[in-house]
Amino acid sequence: MRTIGKALGAVLMLAGLSLPAAAQDRLVIAGRDAGFAPALAKMVELYQAKNPNVKIERLELGGGPLYERLAVGAREKTAATDVAMLDDIWAPEFMARGWLTDLGTVGGLPGEFVKSAMDVSRHDGKLYAAPFVGNIAMFAYRKDLLAKHGFERPKTWSDVVKAAQVIQDKEQGVSGLVFRGIKGNPIVTSFLPVLWAHGGDVVSADGKAVLDTPAAEKALTQFLSFKALAPKGVETYNATELRDAIQQGRAAIAVEMWSSWAGTLDGSASKVANQVEVVASPGEVKGPAPMLGAWLLAIPADSPNKARAADFIRFVTSPENQKLIALETGNPPTLTALFNDKDLVAKYRWYPAQLEALNVAQARPRISQWARVETILGDYLQLALIGQLQPKQALTEANAQIARALSR
Amino acid sequence: MIRIVAAFGLCALSLIPLLWMVATSLKPPAEYVSTSIALWPQDPTLAHYRVLLDSGMWRLGLNSVVVALGTVALSLLAGLPAAYALARFELPRRFDIVFLGFVLVIKLAPPIALAIPLYQVLRALGLLDTHLGLILANQILALPFAIWMLLGFVRDVPYSFEEAAMLDGAGFVKRLLQIVVPLLMPGLVATAVFVAIMSWNEFLFALLFIQTPSKFTLPAFIATLINEDETLWGRLSAMGLIASLPVLLAVGLVRRGLTREVSVDQH
Amino acid sequence: MTASRRLLPWLLLTPALLIFAGLTLYPLGRTLALSLFATDYGFENAKFVGLENFQELWDSRFFRQAVTNTVVFTVVATVLEVAAGLGLALLLNRAFPGRTLVMTLLLAPFVLSTMVVTAIWRAWFHFDLGFLNNLLRAVGIPGVPWLFDPNLALWSIVLVDLWQTAPFAFLIIFAGLRLIPQDVYEAARVDGAGPWRRFRDMTLPLLAPYLFVAALLRSVDSFKLFDKVYAMTGGGPGQATETVSMFVYRQGFRFFDIGLASAAAVVMIVVAGLLAVVYAASLLKGAGR
Repeated sequence: MRTIGKALGAVLMLAGLSLPAAAQDRLVIAGRDAGFAPALAKMVELYQAKNPNVKIERLELGGGPLYERLAVGAREKTAATDVAMLDDIWAPEFMARGWLTDLGTVGGLPGEFVKSAMDVSRHDGKLYAAPFVGNIAMFAYRKDLLAKHGFERPKTWSDVVKAAQVIQDKEQGVSGLVFRGIKGNPIVTSFLPVLWAHGGDVVSADGKAVLDTPAAEKALTQFLSFKALAPKGVETYNATELRDAIQQGRAAIAVEMWSSWAGTLDGSASKVANQVEVVASPGEVKGPAPMLGAWLLAIPADSPNKARAADFIRFVTSPENQKLIALETGNPPTLTALFNDKDLVAKYRWYPAQLEALNVAQARPRISQWARVETILGDYLQLALIGQLQPKQALTEANAQIARALSR
Repeated sequence: MIRIVAAFGLCALSLIPLLWMVATSLKPPAEYVSTSIALWPQDPTLAHYRVLLDSGMWRLGLNSVVVALGTVALSLLAGLPAAYALARFELPRRFDIVFLGFVLVIKLAPPIALAIPLYQVLRALGLLDTHLGLILANQILALPFAIWMLLGFVRDVPYSFEEAAMLDGAGFVKRLLQIVVPLLMPGLVATAVFVAIMSWNEFLFALLFIQTPSKFTLPAFIATLINEDETLWGRLSAMGLIASLPVLLAVGLVRRGLTREVSVDQH
Repeated sequence: MTASRRLLPWLLLTPALLIFAGLTLYPLGRTLALSLFATDYGFENAKFVGLENFQELWDSRFFRQAVTNTVVFTVVATVLEVAAGLGLALLLNRAFPGRTLVMTLLLAPFVLSTMVVTAIWRAWFHFDLGFLNNLLRAVGIPGVPWLFDPNLALWSIVLVDLWQTAPFAFLIIFAGLRLIPQDVYEAARVDGAGPWRRFRDMTLPLLAPYLFVAALLRSVDSFKLFDKVYAMTGGGPGQATETVSMFVYRQGFRFFDIGLASAAAVVMIVVAGLLAVVYAASLLKGAGR
């Protein structure tokens, strides 16, 4: 019994020791995994070398888990995160609820950033986040394969389907196209350019659910027709699978190609170097509207180390480090000047075009419930994709659920 | 003879996944990101273990140890007296039945069903994101188990021993510590080992209640390694093996006890 | 002496009662209350909606799908695990050299962390590079889409669960098998009963209570299914592997629809309560024997 008591005492002491120590110079960074991880890892390494006394912890998570962790932490004020990496679609919720620190109060943010990325970082005239990765949804196709079968750059999604069908039929071992079909954010992001091109939308400008329209139904029907032209198992495809399919020459067209994935297209691991054209998305009844997908860095309002966090953010968004990130990890910068940087353009030939796209980019609906809307839509899109729901029924039900989410 | 072959065959079959984990933790990436079915590495490497060691991941093992020890200590300190009271005393209005029934419901209830309000309880106590908070939350799983298991063990200690001590004028505390606890030792150890394994493997509460990466327990950390996009199976396997060794050793120790638990569940 | 004697049991029960009151009774009450409100957090700014959340659950395609999946998983996994446990117990019932070793090794999967188990099997199920599909392709069978065929994903998780927890069913059934007196068989053998008849007419009825307990404990556990789904499929593809636990998790910790999540939690607790009653009845019956 006495030993148990001693053990308990020791445990309580250890547990007590691990209580948050406010005075400690600590930096907890919660960011994305996959292609984004090397960028933050590199920055942590460099920052640690310059500031050896800071205790830096870095957490790598998938998009969904990262959102859950940041949102729960902010609600419960756990003070567990100092630097948070945010998808631009989460920013409205985080800013409107007062979960982020006004960067103006911690020394501001120097540098001229791409306008559309800056717009999503502001709320009520204050800057709450620093644009970190200047991602934008592009479209990619194999110019050699399309030319071989007599196609030019597809102008509309109908052109895409036609070209993909011919290549699928005539090229052994090559799928016509590829997209991200996994549920949640990826399938929604794949679908949105098609929806917009048909003149549809998820949420109207005045905040109403507007998915139950003929335009949306046409868009979804067309989107579902992609499946037959895509590799088997596309329902579970995420970024890595899509990139591999293109790079290994197993698919001719990428319905979406984010610039942060495009970095390795001409690299040594690619079997299709210099054969993939990266351009703005096709339109349909409307012209294309490039979709912004910026990733931001922000300081949670409950962070106990705001000054340190702000210093780190300024370090990461400095011109030399933004350039380093782009060169070494392929994550596109957010500083305007870098898109015309000689070294960067030499490596990523599409950067000037990307800057143009970024300047006119369309952000996804800026509503604080978007995370939830996206999950609902993602669930229904996948039910339609795996054939369990008809397009019209999927949209009607999704619309009702989204309307409910918006009303709460 | 067929029986022996079948037994060993089944045993081998059920161990292949474990063997795969050990082997993969020793393979360079090129060997496991392939279509080869070779289990054993051609070119063994300790690189994955070195990465884990260098990144200080061993400290997460320490977190798991702290939480397991704390969970065991608290569940025994609260569970043993409770089990003793239920076994030895007449409680009014069938309180014992009501209590045990409630314990049973808690034992069977899905932890997620209590997680949301529990979050708010821990926050009110200022114990979110602390190991102490996780130790408390783990009691939901550990304490019902400890009480049920210890109840059987206490009932097996003949009351006559205590009566004899009482005649010698021994007080209650002395009786408990000098007679009951020593006789219960095997039962206490078995219970402790089970609770420790349970806590060591616990995932949901660690996922929800621990926020700071350096405070993660092993399962919570492993979950961040199983991400959507990557096939870092070498590192994952190395981590999995490190997380599994203690429980695999423990199972050798308590195989007898496992059978015992089963008979407790029977009575 | 008598007063302190009356107080003593309560004193002994106090720590456990405190823990249960704070960590289970209060949360249970709060869950019950929250299930009647529309709220994204606690009771501040909460709107009383009566039973609307339950109506919503009833109408929700996703909740119904989660319930169906959970029931299918529970029934199938339990039946398979008990059958496998029975097979193992019969196989190991007679002593042979190395039996202790075999038993210890067989238990290994059961004590592993579910996260480790999931890590292994997720890699095994990988379509292009997974060990299982590599094996199949090596013998000329095309790869199986273990986790991304909506008609297959749940069965793949059943397979993992079977691998991990059949040893547990085995333990219980084995304990029961050891308690059957051998002279029963002697008598039957004298009567000329063959092995199949001895199994059907003697072993099975005598084992029935143990099979029942094994099935009950396994179904209780399957009913909670969360970890494996969370890390292996996230509930997908589509809703093919969504379980009630996952549903509560998503509503509560992703959407912060606390009212709806609490309503689903209440449903789970009621089911757990019913299972507890069945279990308690079987225990009492066992005690009365």
